[in-house]
Amino acid sequence: MDEITVQSTGQGQVQVYFTTTSPDIELPEEKRQLRVPTSVRRYGLSQILNSESMLDTSAPIPFDFLINGTFLRTTLDEYLIAQGLSAETTLTLQYVRSLIPPLYEASF
Amino acid sequence: STHLDETSALQTRSAADVRQQWTEYESLTRDLSLSLTEQLRLILAPTLATKMRGDFRTGKRLNIKRIIPYIASQYKRDKIWMRRSVPSKRSYQIMLAVDNSKSMGESGSGSLALETLVMVSKSLSMLEVGEICVVGFGDQVKVAHEFETPFSSDAGPRILQDFAFNESRTDVTRLVRDSIELFRAARTKASGSPADLWQMELIISDGVCDSSEHEPIRRLLREALEERIMMVFVVVDDVRTKKKGESVMDLKEAKFVKDENTGASNVKIERYLDTFPFQYYLIVSDVKELPGVLATLLRQWFAEVADSSS
Ligand SMILES: [Mg+2]
Repeated sequence: MDEITVQSTGQGQVQVYFTTTSPDIELPEEKRQLRVPTSVRRYGLSQILNSESMLDTSAPIPFDFLINGTFLRTTLDEYLIAQGLSAETTLTLQYVRSLIPPLYEASF
Repeated sequence: STHLDETSALQTRSAADVRQQWTEYESLTRDLSLSLTEQLRLILAPTLATKMRGDFRTGKRLNIKRIIPYIASQYKRDKIWMRRSVPSKRSYQIMLAVDNSKSMGESGSGSLALETLVMVSKSLSMLEVGEICVVGFGDQVKVAHEFETPFSSDAGPRILQDFAFNESRTDVTRLVRDSIELFRAARTKASGSPADLWQMELIISDGVCDSSEHEPIRRLLREALEERIMMVFVVVDDVRTKKKGESVMDLKEAKFVKDENTGASNVKIERYLDTFPFQYYLIVSDVKELPGVLATLLRQWFAEVADSSS
């Protein structure tokens, strides 16, 4: 049984709660709660929101995410560490249409 | 080596405080404890009606299956009688593992977990079927009450002092691995015949850990099964304090799956419980449901595992 090592290989997950102030892109209530990998950045979160099981957008909408009023510019893992939080917490992510040109996506 | 936050307000609760809390939970769950005790008595105690078993040279009743071989063997294979066998006294080592991670406090499932702990430990101690151990888990596994220690009236309140729901991880893999070790050690110290010793663990938790742990847990559970350790996962899911979609039943997770052909990484949304590794689990949103569902599950387990091996 020694072959099982404690995983801390960036496979962690955190629970998030998606909110928005734009009614046209609002998720149904039961889809707002989700466990996501802590390794994601805004691009990955954007991808999740656009996916078939979530908003199911015909053309992907780039999103930005606000946590407690601040734009997420790191991975969720880095955010948690910087804030002294653990992955036991549910993060409320407010999503807004991104103002960053799509071309810039590649760097995220 | 306590893992609890020393500065936590809950940690510094006085003995009088925890005693009052224990008494409160106890009176809240008194009827339920009694009902659980009665149901468990029927399940856990060995059946009093003794069975007739073969194969003996003398006995009370003929074993029909032995008659033809008896004649065929020129009456040499003459162990053709059955006798009434005396049931052996089963003894139990039961571990209650309570999730002490932060999510328990945040999801509001903490008090439901403690109510469950109080009710179940009370029932088991009334039953007097064996030894009880209580552990807390999160980052680490900490024993709050050892198997060897009798579960006296002040044992309960003392256990409550160890739970503050403030650990920053929910390491279920470590819990299962450490539990197996604790059970192994306890088995060597147990009095009586090892064949009559039954080991069982009830894990009381919100049920949420990283799903990457599910596969390692599954492997450890096979190990536990081989050593005849039964693990039941009691998911406390206080839906009254939860938003829609937050119940563990509805909880979903996002995964990135690499497309082998295009190399692109695609999002896949799955139900969290779909990969949940525990075969025996039950979801409780109200402590009132527990005696019934727990009894049903244990009865099913004894029918499948225990009685088939005896
Ligand atoms: Mg937890």
